[in-house]
Amino acid sequence: MKNSFPQSRYCVAAVLLILTGASAAVGQNSAESPQLGGGVDPTLTIDGVGRAQIRIAFPAADVDSSLTGEYLEAAREVEQTLRDDLEQTIVFNTQGPTELAVLSLTGDRSQDFEQYRSLGNEVVLLATIKPEGDKLVLDGWVYDLPSKQSILGKRFRGTLAQTRLIAHYLADAMHFQFTGRPSLTLTTIAFQSDRDGFQELYLMDYDGRNQRRISGHKSTSGYSDWSPAGDAIAYMSYFNGPPGIYYVELETGKKLPIYGEGVLNISPSFSPDGRSIAFAHSSQSNVDVYRCDRTCTQPLRLTTSRAIDTNPSWSPDGQQIAFTSSRSGRPNIYVMSLDGSNVRRISFEGNYNDGASWQPNGTNIAYSSREGNKFRIAVTNLVDLKTKILTRGPDSYEEASYSPDGLRLLFTLRRGKESQVYVMNADDGSDWRQLTHQGNSSAADWSNFKQK
Amino acid sequence: MNMDRKWIALAALMALLLVTACKKPEPVVTPPPPPITETAPPTDVKPETTPADLVDATEQKPPQSLQEIQAEAEAAGLLGDVFFDFDQSDLRSDARERLDKNARFMQSENGKNLTFTVEGHCDERGTNEYNIALGQNRSATAVDYLISLGISRSRLRTISYGEERPFCTESNEACWQKNRRARFVISGGN
Repeated sequence: MKNSFPQSRYCVAAVLLILTGASAAVGQNSAESPQLGGGVDPTLTIDGVGRAQIRIAFPAADVDSSLTGEYLEAAREVEQTLRDDLEQTIVFNTQGPTELAVLSLTGDRSQDFEQYRSLGNEVVLLATIKPEGDKLVLDGWVYDLPSKQSILGKRFRGTLAQTRLIAHYLADAMHFQFTGRPSLTLTTIAFQSDRDGFQELYLMDYDGRNQRRISGHKSTSGYSDWSPAGDAIAYMSYFNGPPGIYYVELETGKKLPIYGEGVLNISPSFSPDGRSIAFAHSSQSNVDVYRCDRTCTQPLRLTTSRAIDTNPSWSPDGQQIAFTSSRSGRPNIYVMSLDGSNVRRISFEGNYNDGASWQPNGTNIAYSSREGNKFRIAVTNLVDLKTKILTRGPDSYEEASYSPDGLRLLFTLRRGKESQVYVMNADDGSDWRQLTHQGNSSAADWSNFKQK
Repeated sequence: MNMDRKWIALAALMALLLVTACKKPEPVVTPPPPPITETAPPTDVKPETTPADLVDATEQKPPQSLQEIQAEAEAAGLLGDVFFDFDQSDLRSDARERLDKNARFMQSENGKNLTFTVEGHCDERGTNEYNIALGQNRSATAVDYLISLGISRSRLRTISYGEERPFCTESNEACWQKNRRARFVISGGN
C-alpha cells in the first residue's frame, strides 16, 4: 500500500505520554465484570474498568459525490469498517456523527477543531473516500486538536473486494501511531466448523468477517495452530485413518504431513521461532508430549508419566512448554522445560483443567476449568499462581486463545449441542462478541500480527 | 465346426435345465434358527440367509463380510464393547469380564484369524482435545489386558475418536455411559 503523505510527528510525544498510562492501566486491571450473566453484551465497557483512552472525533467521511451503485456501497462499508475497527481497538474512544451532531460545524477547519475539542476530544480523524479507476482510495488524516497539527496522514487504495482491508490498514496505522504497536485489525483467526457437513478448518478476519474454508478432507479436522510467521497452520486430521498432524501453506493451499506415525498425533503447537512443533503422540498405548523440527523425522519424547500427557502449548519465550497431564489423577495444566525437566503444576482450580494458552508477554496462562459439567475460562498468573475466573454464566466456556496483543481472548461457547466462537477482553472477561454463527464452530486460534 | 456347435447347444440346454431346476426348489424343512442369546436385540440379527439359499446344500455360501461376522459374534454375545467410569480409563470388573469373553472369541476357531480395531470413545463432558487422549488410553487399557490374556498385539489396533463420534447424543448419565467405551470392530482376517 502506498503512502503519499509525509508523516507529521508533532504532538506524538504528548499523546504517547497519555498512552503510556493507558497501557499500564490495561495491563493491571483485575476487576471482575459483574454484568456477565452468560448473555452477550454487545456494547463496550471500556470506561467501566478505568482504561485511559485516546478521545477521538470521527465526523462523517467525505465520500466523493461521483460514487454510485456498488462503489458508493463499498465507500460506506469502508467508513463503517473503520468505525468498527476503532471501536474494537480499545485504545480509541470515538465520537461519531451522532455524538458530533450537537455541534454547528462551519467548514472552517480551525473553528471546527475547537468545537470537536469542546466535547472532550483530543484528536480528530478526517477521512475521504474517492474513486481511482476501478479502485477506491481512502485518505485518513489525524490532527491533534489543541495544536491543530497533523499527526498522521495515510492513503490506502484497494479494489471493491478489498474495501474492508483498506479500512483495517488505516486503523492499524493509527493504532501504531498512538501505541507503537500493531493493532489486531490485520490479524486472522483460524477455527473449525461443521457448517459444510464435515468438521473442517476455516479462517476469518479478526472481527469475524470474511469466513472461508481452507480444508476439504471430509473427515474430522481441526485444533489448529498458527505458524508464528502467519504463513501456515498446523492441525490434526483423521482423514488418513488415525489422527495425524498436518500443515497447510496458506499461500498455495498445499497440505503436507508433519507426523502420522503410531495411532495418535494431536494438538500441534509451534515454537515461537517457527522451527519446531510440540504435539501429543501415542505409538500404541499411552499418550505423551513430543517435540520435533519441521521435518519431524525423529520426535523427542518429553513426558514419561504413565498418565495422560497431552495438549502442549509452547511458551512465548520458547523456553517452556505448558501441557495437560492426569498424573495427579485428574487433568491439570503443567509447565516444563524443553527437555521435559522442571515440571511444575500451575492449575489448582476445580478438578479438571485443559487447553493452555500463553499470554504473548508470558504473564498469564488461560485455560478451560471444569465446574460441574461445564467449563469456565480461567487465567493463572505464572508469578504468584493466582487464578481468576473470567466467565460466569449458564453455558460452557472453553478453548481460550490469546490475541497477539494479549488483550483479547477467543473462546468457544457451548450451549447444549451448539458451539460458537466468541471473543472477550482478557483482563476482566468483559465486551463479549460472537464471531461465528453458522453450524458449530470451535477451537479458534489467533494469528500473530501481520508481517509488513 | 458342426460338432462344436452341437456340443455348445447341448451344454446350453443342460445349463438351462440346471437353472430351471434351481429356480423351483422342492419344499424342505427349514432348519431351526441359530441360537440367539437374550441380550441380543432382535434388530441386530440380519436375515442374511434366505430359504432359497438353504435349499441347495452343494452351493458354496458366499464368504461372510467382516460386518456380518461382527454382527453374528455380537448377537451371540461372543464379542462386545467395554464401558468405563467418568474421566477414567481403568478397567471395571464388568469390563474385565467382557474382555475375558472377547479374548475367548479371539482364540476360538471362528475368531482366531481375525484382527481388531479397538476404538476409544468418551462422553461429552470433558474438553474435546483431552478426550481424544482419554479415548486413546481407554482403548489402550483394553488392548493391554487382552495382551495379558495371550492375544497377540499384532492383531489389535487402537484408534481414539474422543467425543467426536458419540453413540448417543442426549445429555444424561444413561447416554454418557454408552459413550464411555472401547468399541471392538473386526477389521480384517478370515
